[in-house]
Amino acid sequence: MAENDFVLVIEDLSFYIEDNCILKGINLKIKKGEFVGLIGPNGAGKTTLLKCINGIYKGTGNVNINGKDLKKLSSKKVAREVSLMHQNTIISFPFPCLDVVLSGRYPHLKRLQGESQEDYRIARKYMDYTDTLKFEARPITELSGGERQRVYFAKVLTQETELVLLDEPTASLDIAHEKEIFRYSCELSQSGKTVIAAVHDLKIASRYCTRLVLMKDGCIIADGSVEEVLTSENITRAYGVDALVYRNKISGQLDFYIRERKDETEEKHIHIIGGGGSASGIMRQLYEQGFKVSTGVLVHGDSDLQCAEVFGIEHISCEPFSDISDDSFRRNVEYIKKADLTVLCDMPFGMQNLRNLEAARFAKKLVILEDTPLESRDFTGGEAIKIYAELKEKAVITTTARLHEVI
Amino acid sequence: MKIESGLKNRHLVKRIVLPAMILMLIFTLILATAVGAVNIPFGETVKIILKNFHIPINADFAEGNESIIFYIRFPRVIVAMLVGAGLAVSGVVMQGMFRNPMADPGILGVSSGAGLGAVTAIALGLTARSLFFLPFFASAGSLLASFIIFILSSKKGKVTSLTLILSGLAVSMFISAITSMLLTSIHGDQVKEFLFWTTGGLSARRWEHAAIAAVPIVTCTIILIAFARDLNILMLGEEEAQSVGLNTSATRKLLLFLTSITTAAAICVSGSISFVGLIVPHIMRLIVGPDHRTLIPVSAIAGALFVVACDMVSRIIFAPREIGVGIVTSLIGAPYFLFLLYRARKEGGAI
Repeated sequence: MAENDFVLVIEDLSFYIEDNCILKGINLKIKKGEFVGLIGPNGAGKTTLLKCINGIYKGTGNVNINGKDLKKLSSKKVAREVSLMHQNTIISFPFPCLDVVLSGRYPHLKRLQGESQEDYRIARKYMDYTDTLKFEARPITELSGGERQRVYFAKVLTQETELVLLDEPTASLDIAHEKEIFRYSCELSQSGKTVIAAVHDLKIASRYCTRLVLMKDGCIIADGSVEEVLTSENITRAYGVDALVYRNKISGQLDFYIRERKDETEEKHIHIIGGGGSASGIMRQLYEQGFKVSTGVLVHGDSDLQCAEVFGIEHISCEPFSDISDDSFRRNVEYIKKADLTVLCDMPFGMQNLRNLEAARFAKKLVILEDTPLESRDFTGGEAIKIYAELKEKAVITTTARLHEVI
Repeated sequence: MKIESGLKNRHLVKRIVLPAMILMLIFTLILATAVGAVNIPFGETVKIILKNFHIPINADFAEGNESIIFYIRFPRVIVAMLVGAGLAVSGVVMQGMFRNPMADPGILGVSSGAGLGAVTAIALGLTARSLFFLPFFASAGSLLASFIIFILSSKKGKVTSLTLILSGLAVSMFISAITSMLLTSIHGDQVKEFLFWTTGGLSARRWEHAAIAAVPIVTCTIILIAFARDLNILMLGEEEAQSVGLNTSATRKLLLFLTSITTAAAICVSGSISFVGLIVPHIMRLIVGPDHRTLIPVSAIAGALFVVACDMVSRIIFAPREIGVGIVTSLIGAPYFLFLLYRARKEGGAI
């Protein structure tokens, strides 16, 4: 791809405050129409990078916007190329909102040149777009947080720059307003503008951004599509927490689980027999306590299986609507035999998973969780009840909530 | 008065407030010229002024009155007008620039510097030789003081508001101490002369004084109006201003320079007149809103009106004796200032 297809090219950008290195040799190229989410922990340098891009901070290295060297542009010319919406802007004088939005036309006007009808039209157009036209005569100081943020967004749009930078534009907003701002940004990038937003919320970033740049300690540690950047490994590395990234089947979006797992001090191996969602909570609980956990046999599509995948729990799975194969059964029994403890969850039994119940016979030590009577969960015409009764003789019976007492 | 609709307001200001204030100012100017120890009828005052501006009218008035009006009272009123306008404009710009409604030209050390200049001129006995030494020394002192404060508070060419305010305070106190030291070593008469200067007197101001003040005040006010939009942008916040392409540090330096000249020009012909730069912008902001494109011109007129009126009061309240105009402005300004504080406290916020 030719150089001039990039709206922004940053080469070896470093920035120091006193002797502290805030940005270390940043290299970044951004194409027209991208919606880049800048993510990373607090203090990673996201805001500093944005301020270097719009010239407020002057770092070493090169920043090129639309092929023009930032250092050689006057501040007004920079403001015609790139606009920045700051984090937590507070205006303490009661300027009418329209005046605040019109300040976005400042870089386009000469001294003593009054705002033309065209400038007013542009300002009103974007106020209308962000649904703030109704506030045009109201003092900015009287608006709520969400309203104010939308006015600032209109201001940034009024600047009509190719590159739009947003520094945590939704830091103090509720989810509805957050969605609004990101929807506008999304539309903006689809209309050919380029948006770079420092985003705190990874879920939001993964949902709206076309590309993510992950920063840590003033460096870019990952850059690429949402799937490429938001991996458990990257998140763990950037944020220093044990994170799990998975796709939430309900929302279809990436979701995060922050593991609070004890270091594996527990040598005990626990095997879980579950299904139909009965085992998820137990898997998480045992996993966090640091046990070696395995589970089986689970059916594809079962939320318990998804849960096992998220936690990286060893599992045996089989196709839905078919009986458990001999092979699966055999492997399940192997796990059960090895396990120090087997937990039989409060699950329904049908002909297809009856062999899981049979496998429980091989347990060294069996814990049966019984929150509801088996009769209401038996769909085998009594066969399950027979095996169950036999298992109960040598098992510890308790409820899900009291499982911790018996382990 | 609350600013309900800022935009309609701007047209309202242009069409009604501004012309009304100009008319009020003209009326007050003439009234202030007419009244005094010898009261001269309003109509005659107008005729004398017009005649002396070579506007031919059927002039018919007593000879003695002409010199009272045109060579004594009118120049004094004009000086009062210029001083008031200059101080108010400086006040508006300072408050906007520091985003602090409590800022006034005093924080630049201008007043204290002018005081030191004045006392030096008096101590050297120069005031007896020429009328111009005192204003010259006063303005030199004030510009020197602002320059020192500016140098002290700028780091790598950038000036931060807080350091400027704090170093302004420290330098002002230091300069005041030197002034006091000088005062203890001069004659009683000279002390009285200085005291008279500090209370802000406009007596015996002539056309020469008006000329000294007019050039810098009018020029700077026009330039400041030209920078009104930049000042508005500056008020949105430092970074907000930078991101729409305003070179904040260069703009701030220029504005500081212009306000120090304006204040110095005002103070050097009038002595120190307090509270004008503080309360006039305040009141006008409440009426016309924070937009400097209207706020600066409107404040200039209001400041002029305020000082002309206060000067008139200072002349007639204990007539035939008069008191310093600075005393009157303080007597009105201080209670109003306290009222603002009281109201702010009641509303549970800072001003």
